[in-house]
Formats: sequence, C-alpha cells, structure tokens
Amino acid sequence: MNDDKKFVPEEQNIVSFSLMGPESGGPCLVDSNGGRITRIRPYFYDKEYTDAHCNPWKIEARGQTFSAPDRVTITPFGLGYKSRVYSPNRVKYPLKRVDWDPDGDRHPETRGVSKYVRISWDEAAEIVAKELKRQKEKYGPEAVLCQADMHGEGKNVAPSHGCPNRLLSLMGGYTLQMRNMDSWEGWFWGAKYVWGCEPVGEMAPQTNLFPDIARHSDLLLFWGCDPEVTPLGVVSHMPSRLCYWLTDLGIKSVYVCPDLNYGAAVHADKWIPILPNTDVALQLAIAYIWITEDLYDKEYIDKHAYGFDKFVDYVLGKEDGVPKTPAWASEKCGVKEWTIKALARDWAKKTASILHGNGGPYIRGPYASEPARLEVMLLGMRGLGKPGVHQAKVIEWSLWNRDYPVPFQGQFVPKITAIADPLRPVDGDVEPHINMRRFELTDAQKERAPELIDLFKKLPAPKQFIPRCHIHRAILEGHAEWRGLQCFSSSQQPGPDNYRYPTQQYQFQKMQYPRPGLSRVHMIWTDAPCQVTCWNDGNLTQRAFRDPSIECIVAQHPWLENDCYFADIIFPVVTKHEMNDLGNDMSSGAFTSIYLEEPCCPPVGESLSDFDVCAKVAEKLGPEYYAAYTGNMSEKERVRFFYKATGCEDYMTWEEFRARKIFVVPCKPQEEHEALPAGLVKFYEDPEHNPLSTPTGKLEYYSTEIAANIPDDPERPPVPHWIESGESHDERLSSARAEKYPLLCMSNHGRWRMHAQCDDIVWNREVETMKIRGADGYQYEPCWLSVHEAEKRGIRHGDIVKVFNERGIVLCGAYVTERLIDHTCYVDHGSRLDPIIPGWLDRGGAINCITPTNTTSKNATGMAVSGFLCDVQKVTDEEWAAWKRDYPEAFARQVDPDAGVCLDGWLIGGDPERKEG
Amino acid sequence: MSKIFLIDVGRCTGCYNCQLACKDEHCENDWTPYAAPQPLTGQFWCRVSEHVQGSIPKVKIHYIPHLCAHCEKAACMAVCRTQAISRRADGFVLIDPAKCAGCGECIRACPYDAIYFNDKLRIAQKCTGCAHLLDHGSTQPRCAEACPTDAMRFGEESELAEALVGAKPLTPGGKIWYKNIPGEFIGGTVYDPVEKEVVIGARCLLTGEGKTLTAETDSYGDFWFRDLPAGGTYDLLISADGFADKRFDGVSTAASVNLGDIPLERN
Repeated sequence: MNDDKKFVPEEQNIVSFSLMGPESGGPCLVDSNGGRITRIRPYFYDKEYTDAHCNPWKIEARGQTFSAPDRVTITPFGLGYKSRVYSPNRVKYPLKRVDWDPDGDRHPETRGVSKYVRISWDEAAEIVAKELKRQKEKYGPEAVLCQADMHGEGKNVAPSHGCPNRLLSLMGGYTLQMRNMDSWEGWFWGAKYVWGCEPVGEMAPQTNLFPDIARHSDLLLFWGCDPEVTPLGVVSHMPSRLCYWLTDLGIKSVYVCPDLNYGAAVHADKWIPILPNTDVALQLAIAYIWITEDLYDKEYIDKHAYGFDKFVDYVLGKEDGVPKTPAWASEKCGVKEWTIKALARDWAKKTASILHGNGGPYIRGPYASEPARLEVMLLGMRGLGKPGVHQAKVIEWSLWNRDYPVPFQGQFVPKITAIADPLRPVDGDVEPHINMRRFELTDAQKERAPELIDLFKKLPAPKQFIPRCHIHRAILEGHAEWRGLQCFSSSQQPGPDNYRYPTQQYQFQKMQYPRPGLSRVHMIWTDAPCQVTCWNDGNLTQRAFRDPSIECIVAQHPWLENDCYFADIIFPVVTKHEMNDLGNDMSSGAFTSIYLEEPCCPPVGESLSDFDVCAKVAEKLGPEYYAAYTGNMSEKERVRFFYKATGCEDYMTWEEFRARKIFVVPCKPQEEHEALPAGLVKFYEDPEHNPLSTPTGKLEYYSTEIAANIPDDPERPPVPHWIESGESHDERLSSARAEKYPLLCMSNHGRWRMHAQCDDIVWNREVETMKIRGADGYQYEPCWLSVHEAEKRGIRHGDIVKVFNERGIVLCGAYVTERLIDHTCYVDHGSRLDPIIPGWLDRGGAINCITPTNTTSKNATGMAVSGFLCDVQKVTDEEWAAWKRDYPEAFARQVDPDAGVCLDGWLIGGDPERKEG
Repeated sequence: MSKIFLIDVGRCTGCYNCQLACKDEHCENDWTPYAAPQPLTGQFWCRVSEHVQGSIPKVKIHYIPHLCAHCEKAACMAVCRTQAISRRADGFVLIDPAKCAGCGECIRACPYDAIYFNDKLRIAQKCTGCAHLLDHGSTQPRCAEACPTDAMRFGEESELAEALVGAKPLTPGGKIWYKNIPGEFIGGTVYDPVEKEVVIGARCLLTGEGKTLTAETDSYGDFWFRDLPAGGTYDLLISADGFADKRFDGVSTAASVNLGDIPLERN
C-alpha cells in the first residue's frame, strides 16, 4: 500500500491515565498523527529490559503463582481519554459571565443561569488581578477562598490543584478550603479510636497482605466493597486479576452490599444484600452470636483489647435493655435472621479477612464512624493480625504505605516534588513536621537539583481555613464551627517523615470560621470545580455560590462543568495530553515507574497549563510576582530539574531517559519483601512490645479518647452504637420522613467515571449502566430500582424519573434491575450538573445535590453522601410542561447528543466550531 | 495457520475495554483501504452484551464480547454483489469501503449481526481484526490488547492450545472461540422456619432432561445447580434429617431460577 505511513504513528508518547493525584493511574502509549491523537493503548513492559533489570515480582501460594503482567492493565478511563481531550465540553478560551460587570452590577443571583462570552487572555488576567487587589485592600487577603483540593488530573510540574494557592500565598494569604477525609469518613472519624492506624484509620500497615491472604485466608468479606469499580480510577485492573486468582485458590468471596455490585456480579460466591447504612445492626448481631455461643478468641481479647466488657454489655443489652439479637438486627438491616446466624458461624469457623475499596454504601453514610469501629472490633474477636486475618484494601496500595500489600514496589521511591501545596494545614495549628513535606525539597533533592531551590522556597501557610464539607454553610451563614483539624495529608509517597501522622489528637479541637480579626470570604478561586456533584448538599452549595456576599468567582478547568457554571471568569486549562510533565506510576500494580510525558497534540483552543494560568495573573500583578511565582523556569526546565531531583539519574541518564521515555524501577528483591511482617502480625504476636497507636496501645472497645474528650456524644459514644436517629441525621426507614421519602438512596463512585471526571467520554456513555437515553433523546444518569419498587410506582425501565427529597430534585433514567433490593434506589455520584433551577432541580443526575447537609455526626467532620431518604417517581407530563414553561432558557441550552452538556450550550451565540462541524 | 480470538467468559469482568478500544481505534479514524471511519457512536464492531441471571439474592452476571466471526463460509461474502467482501490469507474477512455499494445485503445475511451500516458514507462496515495494525507491526488487535484479565486473547491456535481446552468456535473454521459461557442455574436457600436457622447439608436431588444431579446445601443453606441447559424441565427433591421432604415439580430453566428461601417442615 502506497499510503502506508498513515498506519504508523508519527509520534508516540507516554502519558498516564491519572485521575486522582499524580501517582495514580499508569502509563499509556499515545499515538499521534498530524497533530491529533490517534489512539491510546496500554503501555507494554519491555520484557527484555524489565526481566533483566527489574526482577519482576510474584506471589506463590497453594501451589500457584501470581505475577506481574506484561502490560499496564488499563481502565476504561484510560482507553477513552481521547474523547475527553477533544470533548465538546472543553473550555477553549477565557470566558466571562455575560452579566457580571466588575465595575457595575455583578448579578450574583444569575449564576448558574446566565451564559458566557469569550474574552482575551489579557482581559481575563487583568480582571482577576484587579479583583484580587481590590479584595485584599477592602477586606484583607483572607477574603479570597481557594478551592484547590483534588479530583483533577494528576500532574506534577503544573499540578491541577494548588497553583492558585501558590500565587495567593505570594499575595499575603487567603482562606484555604481544607478537604475533609472523603471516601474514608468512617475510618477516619471512627476506626481510629479502636486501633489508631493513622492517618486514615484503615488498617495500617498493609504490608504483604495479599501474599498472606493467598496463603492463609479461606474467606473474604467484601463489605460495601466493589473491586471492579472504585480501584479503576485510582489504580488499574490489577484487583480484577487478583480476585480471580484468589477464587482459583479456593478462597470464598462473600459480598455484603445493597446492590449486586460489579465485583459481586462476577466474583461473589455469596451475595448478602443489606439495606444501605444498616451494617451496624448486622455487625452487632454477629457479635451477639459470637459472645453468646462462645465463638471468639478470648485469649486474644484478654491480651489485645481494652474495655471489652463494656462492649459486651451493650451487645447483650445490659446497657440499654435491648439485646442485639439476629431477630433485632434483621428488622433493621433487612438480612434474614437465618442468614445472619449462618454468616456469623461461617466466619467463626474460617480464617477471614475483610476487603475494602473506599466509597460505596458502607463507609460514607450518616454515622459512618459506627460501622467502621464495629468492623475493627469484629476482626479483633477473630484475632486480628493473625495470618489471614486482616483488613485489606483493593485500592491505594502505595498510599501512606511504606511497604505495599502486593510486592510490586521498587527498590527505591523516586520522589517527584510537587510544586503546589493545596492541602497544607493552617499556619500555627500543627507542628511543622506534619506539614506537607512533599511540597518542599528534601536535602538530597536540594543537592541534586539546586536549580529548584528558588522555585521551592517555602511559602507561608494560610491563616484561615474552612473544611470542604462546611463551605456552603460558612458562606451563607458567614461563620462555621466544627471539631477537628482537617489535616489532609496528600503525602502519598512513603518516607521516613511522612508516614503515619498523629492526627487523632487534633480531632477534638474546636475550630471556627472566620478567625478573630480575619475577613469572611467574598471571592472564590477554584481549580477543583466539582463541589456540587461530589460533596454534601450540592443544592445548598449552588445557593451559596449565588449569595450576594460572593462578589467574584474564578474557575480554571479544562472542561466547562459543575461549579464552572457559577463562575464569573473561567480560564481554559490543558489536559495532560497537551503538556510536558514527569509522570509517575506508583499504583497500577505491575511495576513502579517514572516517565517523560510530552505533548501528544497542541493545546486545545487557547488553553494553558494550570501553572501558566496563574502565571498570567501574576504577570498582571507585577514583575516581582511573576518572577517569584514562576522561579523564572519554563515547563520543560521544570521537567528536567524535577527528574534530576528524583535521584533516577543514578540509574538512567537524562539522555537515555529522554530516548526511552520511561524508567522502570527495579523491584525490591523477593526475599526482602517476603521477610516483612504482614499487616499487624507483630501486634498479634506480642502486643506489649508492638502496641497500637491508641492511648492504651490496645484495641479499644471502649474509646478512652472519646471518653476523655466528649463522653456524652450520643452520636459517637465511647462504645459504638446503633443510632436510629440523632441531632445530625434522621435517615432511616423508621423515620416519619420515610412516609414521604420511603427509599434509602445508596451512592457509590461510578464505574464509568472517576468522581466528576470522565462523565463526557462518549463511548462510556453508550454503556447502559453509564447513561440511559430518555424518550426525549437526553442521556440521563441511571437510577437503579428493584422490579418491585418500580412496579409499585408504575415506572418502566428507561422512564425519566425524579429522585427527590426536601433538598431538591434530580432527574434520572430508571434502570430496573435484579441487582438492587427493595426499599432502596441507587445513583452514582459525579454526574455533571445541568441546572434547570439552580439549587433545586438538576437534569444532569448530580445526586449529591440532595445528599444530607450535616456532617457524619455532630463532632465528626466528614460528609454523609450515601444512605439517605428520598423517593423516586415518574416525571408526569404536567410537571414537564410546567418546567419547560417556567425555565425555557435552561431547556433551550444545547446539549451534545453523545457527550451531554457542552460549551455550545453555555456560550452566547453558541460554539462556532460546533456549528461548523 | 491463522490466528484466532479466544474469549474466556469466565474471566470477563464486563469492563468493556474491548468495546472501547475498538472505538478508540476506528471511530473517526480513516484506515482505508481496510476500513473507512466508523461513526463516533452507534456502531459496535466489538460489542459486549450483559447477561443477568436469577433473582435477588441469587443473581449472576456474565458478559460476552461479540465481534465478527470471520467465518470460513462467510454469508456476507456470498451475498455481496460488488465483490467488496474478501477473505485474506490470514483468514480475516474485510469489506472494501471503495467497492461497497451500500446495498445492505451483507447486513441482512450476517447471522451474528456483526455488520453495521454507515448512513453518512452509505457503506457496510465491521470488524477488520485491526488488520491495518497487524500488517504494520502490531501483534494484537486493539480489543485483545486492552483486555486487563486476558479474558480475550489473540494468537495462533497452536500457541493457545492449552487454553483452548473446553472452548468452541462460534462458527466452524471461524476466528472466534468461546469458553465458559455459563448455562442456566437453579438455586435456593433452605431453612428451618421454627428455629430460624439455615439447614446445612440438606440433600438436593434434581432430575430432568435424562439426568440426575445432586447437591448439598452449604454453610449458608444454599444449593446451586449450575450450567444447566436452557429450556429444560426439572423436578427437585430436598431432604434433610428431621425434616419432611420438599418437592418442586416442573421447574423450568427457560431462565435461571432462584427458588428463594425455602422453609422445611419438621417431622
């Protein structure tokens, strides 16, 4: 064929599918022709190279071997990313909200309704620089709230999050939005009080767990855990391979969850469906059986536990007169009494570990501290730490772990410095060692790459912060109070200084906003515009964004979505595929590696990297700001010097790295990994000399910390309780509210999206569990309903339905299925907002719009985003007619038939490129 | 020798990577003369179907990737009036977009619904086995390469010999082989309504379709008869010491059956 050259890529680059911090995802090969991305494929390890130098890992157990695959096990997000780069939803140039006049009327009340006009970079940067100066002069620097904490693409030299913080620090400070410990709510606010295990409260360390499980466990409990969903955006498909292998070894998998989740669908030996957020009842009944039938490890409890007698008193009903029998539990959780007993006895007979993957129906509900604590207590009754008895994770294998649960880790950790510091705690509140060291250069890095010293000059920490889950109330009420410092460490790379921060002690501190003498917030700058679809009570957030106290909102993002609709100025940002970066794979599970990411195509429109967006504003503030902000270093120079700082040059020169584009870190020698104690085995063997980080050093069935600080908190008492309702939440089927809202809504991370990311991948949207096309042609977010609940309401598969409660209405497409139990509906979070009535009615399926406003519990500053009351009904013709009559402009916005909401719908006069196309 | 696809349904997680990779390769990419661009959405040269069996809480799901079988006796080739469809030496059956007259005969002739009509280009289109890549240095079509669990593999029959045990070709001499497609199941949970306990070790006897199968209830009181042929009729007898026998006659496997929580009466 004479035309052969089109079949060969002109350019081939390596870029990761990194959606959750720079270390997430894994490398992909991206081919380009003629300045356009042709395809995205998994990266294949060069076996000659890896086998000779990298000493590939393996796990041997029961006569079988599990080993590193020959390629990155790419996920749907990685494969479909071309569709994301060229999405009709891209912000292509700077935008200004049409009726926001910084010198005149600012119309906060039309945010979420009014459209945008294109402006020049010069004008946009000038407006924002001027407004920053005005805010600082009028109110002080803390008037600017910086929302910059995650859920964006993982990038290092120009990170998705934190560039505005860097600039605002140079301007004298700002108010920090502190991310609450999301996805880990129950562990962080509960489990810690039983076993310490800082900083998250999930079992730590996770060292060597999967080899140990493969050799010793014979039962795995996937409790509210979907190994085929939550890992995908963070890790890869390695957990899928692992689950098949564990089944091959004869280990049984029992799934406890309201839905037949994607993992249960293909891996479960037994599915025990349970009503959302009622796991506490099941756990207490299991404890009841074990105590009354003498089925627990008493010797272990004697040596390893504190306060067990008080726990027994509660379980047997001596404390409150209610024995927590299987019959009692069955009423609450919907699991049959005989199945509860069977599970309790089977578990007692076997060597069992519990598996988790964040998110899901179990650990993010109201009062999530309670199931988390009880789980640890049940594991304790089975001899926690004993070979085969662990809490293991199918996700975040490199997060906070010095040594990994699957032995893929390299002989050394090539630390990539990150230039921005979005998650740093507030100045003066914590000891300096808790501060995020990853945003500083280590001494070794300084020595290796002195060029970076100026760039990494330590900037002052902000003086004021608001936890992300309190933002809406803080804005609307002008003040907020909460407990606990949200020291969200993003130090995902293990090191001697950043492993296990003692944050437990800060959880009882009383905090407030605004701080004495500091201003409340009057301006918002966000690089994480997903608050409405990923955090609690998105409708209240929308009302906060429209509050007159907020005079200016600036967003910077590659896509026009979610919170962007409330911004007055929007800066266009490039995706990973349009820039230079140094990528690192710490979590896809085959090998760890560092790779050179180079542009696969020119920037879309006039977009710039997040770093350069803020540099534009710095330029307008003055040359001294520009110099301090950029360190006078270009993107390519930063890549070069970052590589120098990693220490990889001792193994691969820069020239070779540039040619090869990837450095695969040699694996730790097998015998070295094998020798490491698995999980908490040392605590199991000798608790006196290997205490936990609880005050007593033991598993605390009665929390001494809670007893010492807030002993009378009915929402989180020293011994975990079943909480029917309380001051913070009334979200049970027993509630009077359930007469109007009789369904418990469960919500998880989506399988076809990562939080708010990737909702516009057109090929994912063709999968019916991703979107359902309604009769009106619009692709709706699916709302799962059981056949019975659907029939009761006259709902058929595919009908447009409203999911609603007092907090508002979210429109969805009915997905009628055998995969969900009665009294329940299920909608994944993260679907992009399409506001019909901002703060009340959403067509896009952003279910978090109607999640509870209150935090996990009164003194637990997490969010409750699954297991809340609502109802689902078919949208009637009359309702449709009324909405279309009253909100014609919202229904008239252009929506892409395949990609959903898009720039075309929000630009005055439409997107010219779309029209030409 | 020619290369084949081996699809192990028992190893498929339903991630749709194969379907998505196919789209990444072919949608709006022009690989003529192998294939003209596939429309951005709506065609599925590699299509994953989802199969839900049973009812709560005994529900199982499997996923089956479907792609052109590249039949040895290809019906599409036979009906094509413009000789646009041909079989290569390596066995891949390709539609030449330049020769296709867009009559749609092949689409109607294909027994597997593997051919799609491109409304804009007025031609028939389908899986090419990524021949354009195989001819230019790749060893794998995009779908097989993207499979994270090796549920879909592509290679010489001889290379795959071990894995091919138990597999069947979709069509004789074709390129698509499947294994571990589950049959229908009959299952249930046996319990004692007085004690509110599951009954462990109850003997379950299933007769029908000329066979007698046995199972025992496990530690959850569950019994399973798996991989039954669809459309059979069976009688089930459950017996346990101390309980009266329980009988289900004429259970149909038109679809998988969860008999639910089955109470046994005490003798």
